[in-house]
Parts: sequence; C-alpha cells; structure tokens
Amino acid sequence: MKNRLPPPYGSLINREKMVQFEFESKAYQGFHGDSVASALTANNQTLLSRSFKYHRPRGVLTMAGQDANTMVQLPSNPNALADRELISDGLKVTGQNYSGTLEKDRGQWLGLFSRFLPVGFYYKAFFKPRGIWEKWAPLIRKKAGLGVINQQLVPDYYDKQYKFFDVVVIGGGPAGMQAALESAVPSCEVLLVDENQSLGGSLNYSRFDVEGARGKNQLDKLLNAINDKPNISVMTNAVCNGWFADNWLPIITKKRLYKVRAKQTIMCTGSLEQPAIFHNNDLPGIMMSSAAQRLVHLYGVRPGSQAVIVTGNNDGYGTALDLDDAGVKINAIVDLREDPNYDDIAKAAVDRGIRVETGTTVYAAKHKGANRVSSVDIRKIVSQGICAEQGETITCDLLCMSVGYTPTYQLACQAGGQLTYDDQSAMFSLRNCPESLQLAGSVNSLWSLDAVLMEAKRAATIATNALGLTQVQVADRVTEDTVSPNHPWPIFAHPKGKEFIDFDEDLTIADIINATADGYEHIQLVKRYSTCGMGPSQGRHSALAAARLVAAATNRTVAETGVTTARPPFSAEQLGHSAGRSFYPARRSNMHYRHIEAGAEMLQAGAWYRPAFYRSKGKDSTACIDAEVSNVRNNVGLVDVSTLGGIEVRGADASEFLNRFYTFGFLKQPVGKARYALLTNEAGVVIDDGVACRFGNNHYYVTATTGGVDRVYQNMLKWNAQWRLDVDLANVTSAYCGVNIAGPNARAVLQKVCSGVDLSSEAFPYMGVRVGNIGDIPARLIRVGFVGELGYEIHVPQQYGEALWDALMVAGNDYHIQPFGIEAQRILRLEKGHIIIGQDTDAMSNPNEVQMGWAVSQNKPFFVGGRTIAELEKKPGLRGLVGFVIDDTKAPLPRESHLVVEDQRMTGRVTSCNFSPTLGKAIGLAYVPPEKTTVGTMIEIKSTGGVRVLAKVVELPFYDPENLRQEL
Amino acid sequence: MASLDPTTGMRRSQLYRRHINNKAVFKNTGYDFVVSHYDNGNDQHTELDQARSMAICDLSTLPRTGFKGAGARSWAENQGIKIPDSANRSIVQPDGCLVATLSDQELLILSDILAKSHQVTALGEQSTNDHLENDTQTYLLPRGDSHCWLAVTGNQAAEMFSKVCGVDLRPHKFALGDIAQTSVAKTNAVVIRQDLGQILSYYILCDISAAEFLWDCLLDAMQEYAGSPVGISALEALVSA
Amino acid sequence: MKPALPPRATRGRSLKLLTCPLNGSRNISEFTYGGEYHATPNHLTTSARDWAEHVFFHDNAAGVVTEWWCHTASSFWFLAERNTITDEIIRTFKAEEIYTQRVDFSTINPESRS
Repeated sequence: MKNRLPPPYGSLINREKMVQFEFESKAYQGFHGDSVASALTANNQTLLSRSFKYHRPRGVLTMAGQDANTMVQLPSNPNALADRELISDGLKVTGQNYSGTLEKDRGQWLGLFSRFLPVGFYYKAFFKPRGIWEKWAPLIRKKAGLGVINQQLVPDYYDKQYKFFDVVVIGGGPAGMQAALESAVPSCEVLLVDENQSLGGSLNYSRFDVEGARGKNQLDKLLNAINDKPNISVMTNAVCNGWFADNWLPIITKKRLYKVRAKQTIMCTGSLEQPAIFHNNDLPGIMMSSAAQRLVHLYGVRPGSQAVIVTGNNDGYGTALDLDDAGVKINAIVDLREDPNYDDIAKAAVDRGIRVETGTTVYAAKHKGANRVSSVDIRKIVSQGICAEQGETITCDLLCMSVGYTPTYQLACQAGGQLTYDDQSAMFSLRNCPESLQLAGSVNSLWSLDAVLMEAKRAATIATNALGLTQVQVADRVTEDTVSPNHPWPIFAHPKGKEFIDFDEDLTIADIINATADGYEHIQLVKRYSTCGMGPSQGRHSALAAARLVAAATNRTVAETGVTTARPPFSAEQLGHSAGRSFYPARRSNMHYRHIEAGAEMLQAGAWYRPAFYRSKGKDSTACIDAEVSNVRNNVGLVDVSTLGGIEVRGADASEFLNRFYTFGFLKQPVGKARYALLTNEAGVVIDDGVACRFGNNHYYVTATTGGVDRVYQNMLKWNAQWRLDVDLANVTSAYCGVNIAGPNARAVLQKVCSGVDLSSEAFPYMGVRVGNIGDIPARLIRVGFVGELGYEIHVPQQYGEALWDALMVAGNDYHIQPFGIEAQRILRLEKGHIIIGQDTDAMSNPNEVQMGWAVSQNKPFFVGGRTIAELEKKPGLRGLVGFVIDDTKAPLPRESHLVVEDQRMTGRVTSCNFSPTLGKAIGLAYVPPEKTTVGTMIEIKSTGGVRVLAKVVELPFYDPENLRQEL
Repeated sequence: MASLDPTTGMRRSQLYRRHINNKAVFKNTGYDFVVSHYDNGNDQHTELDQARSMAICDLSTLPRTGFKGAGARSWAENQGIKIPDSANRSIVQPDGCLVATLSDQELLILSDILAKSHQVTALGEQSTNDHLENDTQTYLLPRGDSHCWLAVTGNQAAEMFSKVCGVDLRPHKFALGDIAQTSVAKTNAVVIRQDLGQILSYYILCDISAAEFLWDCLLDAMQEYAGSPVGISALEALVSA
Repeated sequence: MKPALPPRATRGRSLKLLTCPLNGSRNISEFTYGGEYHATPNHLTTSARDWAEHVFFHDNAAGVVTEWWCHTASSFWFLAERNTITDEIIRTFKAEEIYTQRVDFSTINPESRS
C-alpha cells in the first residue's frame, strides 16, 4: 500500500484491521472500511474496469458511487460500484467488459473503429433488412455486456418495511444535518438519510478554510448535537431512490427496502461535480477534484504523485492545498478563467508558490500506451471552446477536474420541481417544488458553508411550521455573494475526438452534435437517439454538457433545452429489493387437508386452493376424473363448494333489493325456496350468477361465483348507497363451509345423519331450502342441481367444515360415496348444459345470447341492466351460445377458444368442450352466428393442429333433457 | 399434562394442524379447544417471556360475534352494552368482553381471552329472537366463523407489523382500543390494539380462509425479533400479572 | 358498461394517500376505484341514445371530477372530488351527502337528478 497516507488521513478506515482480497486474480491488501477502489488506488492499481462500448480503460471518477467507470464484477453480482463496495477478506473482484485481460483487452480495437460506430449506429445499421438485428444481437451483446450473472446464486433474504416520520431529510451533509437538527422540535419524528458510510458529506473531505480545520470542527459539532436528539433517526448506507406521491420515499439499504411516508421532506441532496470535456478526458488518473479529496481524507490514499488541476473555480485551489498537504506534487493549476476572482483559499494556494496558468485549459491528455494519464497538453483559450494552436506538455499521473456542479436534482424533479438554467451563473437550479418539500444546501444553489447552514435552518422551520409544531417567523431566502463555481463552457473539441460527454455510453462531442444534425433537436430525442444519459449513471455527469452542446447547436438557451426527465430509481436497484419478501394470499377451506389426505391434486383458483381431482393408484388423470363423474351419475359424490360466495340479504326491503339487483323476479318467491339469480351490469352483460335462498320473509342467502363474489358484494353495496333501501348486506362467504352431495344415493346418505328436515321429495322438493342439522352441526340445505343429479348443497359454519366432511364420508360409506373435484364437476355441469360465468360468457354476453332469456323478468319496474337488455332485444342478435356434439370419436378434441369457422372466415369460438364419459362423445358450448343456432345445424371447428372437425348443434342439456334425475 | 385431541371437537381452528406440528398441548375452554402451550421442552415461563417480547397466539376458537344494521347500535345499547362514541374504536365491557365499532352500523364483540364472558353467546341468541319477533334492523354476523382471531403480543409487535402493514400501529400513534381496518400482508384484516396486562398487544382478525397464510406471514415477519407461537396460558399469565 | 378505469396509474400515483371518511388517510392501494359519479337518467323516459351515453361513455373531464371509491378492507363506498389535471384530491365525503333519501322505481323514476 505504497500510496497510503498516515493518520489522521483516512476517517473511514481502521488501520488495525487488515483485509486480504483479490482483484483480477492478484492478491491485494487493504484496511477495514476501504472500498474496492480506495484499496486498489492505495496499491497503485488505477485501472479498475473497461468502458461499455469501446472497452476503454477506466478508473476512479467520482469516488462517490455516482458513475459507471468503476463497475466491477463480484462473484454474486455484476456491476458493483468499486467506490462503494467495501472489501472483505477473500473477496474476489474482477473488472468488466474486456476479453483477454483487463490490462490488455483484445476488444480495445473497438475504439479504433469508433468512426464506424457513429451516433445512432444501431438504428441505422440494423434497421434493414428485416431480421438482421437478430443475427448481430448475440455478438454485440457479448461485446457490450455489463457483467456476468451468477445463475447458481441462492438469493439472500430481502425484506421490506414501512416507516413513518414527520420530517425526512435526504442527504446527511452540512445542510441535511443542520436541517434535521432544526426540525427536531419536541414530538417531531425526524429521519436523516445518507447514502454514504457516515454523515457529514463534504465536511468530511472538502476544504472550507485556509487551515483545513473548519470541516472537521463543524462536523463534530453537528454530530454531537444530532446524537443528543433522541427524535432524530439516522440511516446511513441508505439511498432514497425516488420520490412518489405524498412524500412516499423508497429508502434502500443493503437487504431491506424501507417504504417511508414523510409528512414533510427536506432535500439536501447536494450537487454532483462535473467533468471537463477534452481529448482523452476519461483516462484512469483523471478524476473529479472531489474524488481526489475523498481518497485523501476518507481513505488516506494518495491518488497520484504528480498532479495537474484543471479548474474553473476556487474549489480547485482547495484541492491543490489538500494534495500539497498530502505530499502530492502539484505541477500546475490550469485555470480556465482569464481573470480569476480569488478567495482566501485560492490566495493561499498561490502563496504556496504553486504554478498557476490562467485563461488556459487542458486540451488533451496523453497516456504513452499505458492505462493511465502520463501528461497533459495545456493551451490558452482563444474563445469559447477554442484553444491556441500550440501548447505545453506537463507531466502528471493525476489530473483533477474542478469546473462546476449540477444540483442533485433527480428526486426534487420527480416531486414536480422544475429545473431552470441561469446563464449568469452557468448553473441549473430548482424551483416550483411542492409545498411539502423543501430544499437546502448546494442542491438549492448555495455554496458557502454559512449560507448552507442558514438556509437549512430556514427549510426546517418551514417544515415544522407546516406541521403545526412551530409558529416561527420564516426568514427570507438566504443570498450569498460568492461567485458561481460553474465555468460556462469547459468543453474543448479535438480533431481526434474522444472528448467524452457521457462516460457510460462512450459518447463524445461529435456524437451529440451529429444527433442534432440528424434532426434530433429535442433533448429527449437526443437522449434516445444517442443514448446519452441512458447508462447506469443516468446522465449525472453528462446532462449539463449535453444541454449546453445541444443549446449551442440549435441556437437555443440551455434553459430552453433543459434536461431529460429524471425517473426513479435514482441509482441502480438490486432485483432482490423488488423480488424480496412479498405476499401471495392463499385461501383454504376448512376441509383442505381432507382433500390432501384423499390424494387430491390441488389447483389455485384466484387465491383459493381447490381439489382438481383425486388421484387413485394406477390411473391417469383422465381416468380418475371419468371415474369421479361416473360415481356421481351412478352412486353419490361429494364436492367441496366452500369457495362459493355467500351473501346475507336481510331487512324489510330484502326482496325489493334482489328484484332490482338481479334479472329475475323475487317479490313473490316463497320462503323455503331457492331461485336462480342472474346478474347483469348496466350494459346488460352477464357478470355473475347464483341462487337466492329465501330463509325468511326478510332474509335471503344468496350464493355467488367463487371468483365473482367480492365484486358482486361491492356492487350491491354501491347500488344500495344510492337506493338507500332498508336492507343489510353481509358477505359471509368464508363464514360457511359447503359441500354438494350429489347422485342417486344422496338422499339415502343424508338420511343417516340429517335431523330436523323431512328429506322426502314431497316435503323437500327440487329448489327447496331448509335449515337442519348434520349430526350436531347446524346446516343450511339447498336442493340444487348444478351437476344434474339429486343433490343437496349443505352450508355449515366454517369451523365445522372438516367435521361435516367426515360425517358425510362415513355415512356414505355403504353407498360408495367418493369425493370429486372441480374437473369432474366441470364435465358434469357441461353434460347438464350449465354455463360457467367468465368461461362461457365474455365481456359482451347478454342473457339472450347465452340462452338465459328465461331468467330475465319482463315485468318489473327496474333492474340493473334492464333498460339495456330491452334495447338489445329490439335489435337482431349477433351470436348465440349453443351446445354441440361431435360424433366422430377419432376427431381431435377442440379446446376452449378454438375457432368456429366457415370456409376461411371465423364466425365463432368454443367456450367449453370435453369428452363426456356419460354420453361417450365430445360435447361442448360455442358461440355461433344467429343463423347457425338452429338445432341440427352442422358447424365446423378448427381443432387442435388445425384439423377441421364437424360438430352438430343440439338442444341443451345434453344429459337428462327432462330434468328427471335432479328432481328425484 | 395429557393433551386433548382437537379433532374430537366439532369446531376446529383452521390452524390446528400447525399447532399439532408444533407440539401443541390443547385444553378446553368450556367452549372449544385452544392451545394451552407448546411442548418444546421449554417451561411455561419461557412462553411468558416470549409473549412479552414477540409472540403470536391463535384465539380462533374463542367466542366472538357481530351485529350489523341500521338499528344495531341502539339495539346493543338497549342490551346494556357500552358502545364507543366513534367508528373504529373499542371498549372493554365490565364482564371482560371487547366491543368494537367497525362503522356506525356495525359492531364486533370479542370474548375475553379466558372465555369467561357469556355475553357473546347470550347476545347472539337475543338478537336472533328479537329480530324474528320485531324488526330491530339488527342482524347477526357469524364472526366466530367468518374471521380467524389471532393475538400478536410483545414489545416488538409494532415494529413487526410495520413489515406487513401500511398503517402506523406504533403505540404512540395507535392508542389502546384503536382499530384499523386495513390490509395486512395483502389480506384484509381488522387490527385492534388491546394490550394484555402491561404488554403491547394487538388482536388481528382476517378472513378465516386466509388464516394459515396470515399465520405463516406473521411468523416469517417476526423471525428477526425471535418471535414464535405461544399458547393461551402465556396470555392468561400476561393478563393476571 | 363503462369500464372502471383507475385514474392514470403511474408508480407515483399508486402510492398516493386517500382519506376515507370512515377509516381516515390510507395508501391508495387500499381502495377500489368505482368510476365517475354522475346522476342516472330516468331509465323509462330517457332516449336510447342518452341511455347509451350514460352506460358507455366517460366524461373524462379535465378539472375537478367526482368519483366513487371503495375502501376495500371495510367495503365502505364514498365519493371523492379530484382534480384530474393536478391529481389533487380536494375532498372526500359520504354518499349520503348526495343520496339523501330512498329511491323508488315503482312510479315515475324520481332519480333523475342532475
């Protein structure tokens, strides 16, 4: 670690704890607290990775986890940021985007061909002929790939958690710390979030005074004060990755996503230092001034031995002092300004005798074939962006850039803030943020520490006033007389190009200019055409330069040109945060485990688990299902119908309510009877069905479909919020478990266990409803015939479900009772011609189309959908749902949604089709044109494999047309 | 203590198999089978400590009921029930049961955890009779079957809830007796703050068909707080402490 | 039938707060959108065209609209006034503020309020 500086340098590292790790299969040492980048720089390894497009060598740029230069490969994940990822013992790190070795990349030739890869290359080159992209894509993706995914990885446990705060302060620099402190009035819960390892921001590394002591002193003061406030929570290593409506803030830590709701947000997100644009400005060893300062102060690492500083402000002089103090030889400060306005710090640097060249820039960087800057060519600036013909070469292995900042505007813009550009200060600034969002610090275009701290207090006061916690006069916005740190045009084109605007995407000045020349003048189009700002750092270091270039090329102001929309996430998110602990609700009937024990194959219908069929040894699924069907037809079967919806409709207006809600008439329905209940919406479309059981004058129990009941219940409540009838509605779906016991032996089984009800056909006929007991279990019994046999639906309070199942299975033992699943039930109901809402109906089906005209009352004053159905009846129908049979037993079985065709025209579709074990042939339901609905018509179905199958339209039901069996 | 077999009862909690797998020892409250404690080789003091820090307990077989309708509130008042002034509040009655308002027209009544309150069943019968005889506009709700009933107890309970629920349930924001009808682990639920003894506790009622799902979700969420299921004996100890 | 289109859903908007008159301020994910509120025309006397207009068309107005919302966990329906331009929810209120009395269809439809 030859570049390591002695204490007190290195506030983040612990020199007591040595860490061994590997980079590119070579062993390195660092200290606990080192990032991969700082540890490698300490070992003089400046080349960290290669660029995405041209495989150019890249090293540290920001040292703040804000750029894509340092994306390295870890065993568990690609694209780790070397300046954020901490080293640990045994960690194996490699660079990315190279073939061969990182030092000698065989893909580096890509750079030589860069003139053949112009902006918009992909659009232009692969647009024609059709299909050419598919051929090239694998090769290009291999070259352009970002890291390797470990497909063997066992994911870690990622978690999520809500948090609630009165004030959330994003950014823990001087502004954020001060704002948090000032917000922490009694009973105000404050959260201070920072993405770095520790609070302090620039106080940790920046130079605020000639002596270099003020940052540390201020930091200690603020830290102590924050520690003394129990109502301030601090999260470090935590990124607020977006702003969403009503101050909903996703804050991401290593393994947990915090879903934070703030009443007030104060954004102290700081600013991002911007690069100077010149030939080879991306070489390793060229970095932001702040990056060099971070290396020195946070990690105790000397970033180079001989430095040049290119600056457009006084901050570059502070960096010079820091580097000089750390023993780096400063070969020159190259100041873009013709006539710099020095502050005390700059004067101190000059006083140290450091060579300063004003009105001068770095025109090009050189590398002598190595992967690091070796010298710079500095030249006088003649006019904006134009340099003198001749210059001077100065040796250096470190070049620091200090030419200005962009506010970290992303979150504020997501909140609705607007970015404007001031030509005077050459700087973006934010305005029009929502009332519950305050800005403070350099994101708010304030630069001197005193102004920043004052503005932070002001922002906090606005927030606590808004919360009603304080009533303090708010001071005027702080103004400062410091000169803007932004140079208006640190952009110097070079005949050989390679002046990088966007380091992520290897875009140069010419690429941006050419995009506008190709006609893409809007900044959003420039982005999409050139990919500028589309890389991992999302334009943090390219948006300002791109806006300036596009503005100049299109003769507009930078303010008019603007920047592209800043969408969340602010920084790359691991998939684990989205895919982590989530909820997939599952519902089970009380008899669930009896099905499992009986060998059921369960399937999920919505959230419900339901038995599809019961597996018996040596039989395939079809044989199992057919046996279940046959047992219902010949003996008796038992099916769990607990998932069926159940709604209590009670009160003086119960029948009036049903009369308005469903299509049938209910006013004259006798107590003790069930009636079919068909539901249409206002458009006359069938949306649900069930039976309405009248248990008392003012009491109905209405069933609804498994998938439809929640919507039906909500609909009922919405209508009655308008009608205000004297009726109470209660969704009791889960309160009742239910079975349907069906088959010729059903009554015999029931007679063994049922008391309180005369089960004879005369006393309890088809469509009757009764209350009784099964053993000791109170039960509602409904004689319905969904499967077309003598059958009873038995509904009991939920926690009796399993006991009911047991009682019936025992009682049915002598009668060959067997459970059946929903697959068998689907066949049984199809044989009986019953439709399933949602399968045999679609978003257009009206009652007449599906042969349900009989269930629509023609003589009531109103029902939902009534007027529309009446209008539809005036017009000729467009289609009809019919039953069909296929006599050819060798024909491939049509499936749901197979087409009904006439020559080459599709005229309808199949909604249900199954082989009927009872009838020995395929039966089904299909929509056909009106002229094909007549019984006996032949229709053609395009079945599996495109085979055309002839089917005959028949009368429904297929099975037991006289309905004798269900009325036994 | 020999464990009773919950399958000898007619009413069975949707969760009884989970309890058996966790070596539950059942007891009969006089109403139905509940878990007394889990026989994990720990003594019962451990479950009490557990309940103080982070635990979950299944109360689904304890008595509870509900009433709904335009007349429900005044009818219940006529039965001598103390009713909270506003919706989404609950009050403990003199006999120990808890009366909660879910809206201006809906009451939820939970027995005390010792199942000593007979008011729950008595009210149910009374309402049916009253309603049949004269229209009171009060309708019984089968809350004993429509919803499972869990207790989440311990000082970490609010922190755990923040992992599964978007409502701020921290004790200084969610007062004793407060109710949140909300989504817990994407499942509709009623959450009631009802401290047991001095210990922060919540009742949570969700659709009974989702009982196992929610039970598993809550156990998963409380893992980092070392939470685990406890039997009702631990809760009784909390109350009598 | 007018499809129950939720207000333009973006990631941001799905995290809004909405104040239920019964349950207070909640994440909007706890609610179900119920379509625009407008008075139902008299189904007996209105023309087929106006009826179709009522059933199939949204006003989709830019500005303040009134919408039905249901708090899903408590099945509580209420109304909200929302500015569709700013997505600001101006107020929420119980349905009985508009629906003050029982509606009957037996005689001439009294429901044609507008």
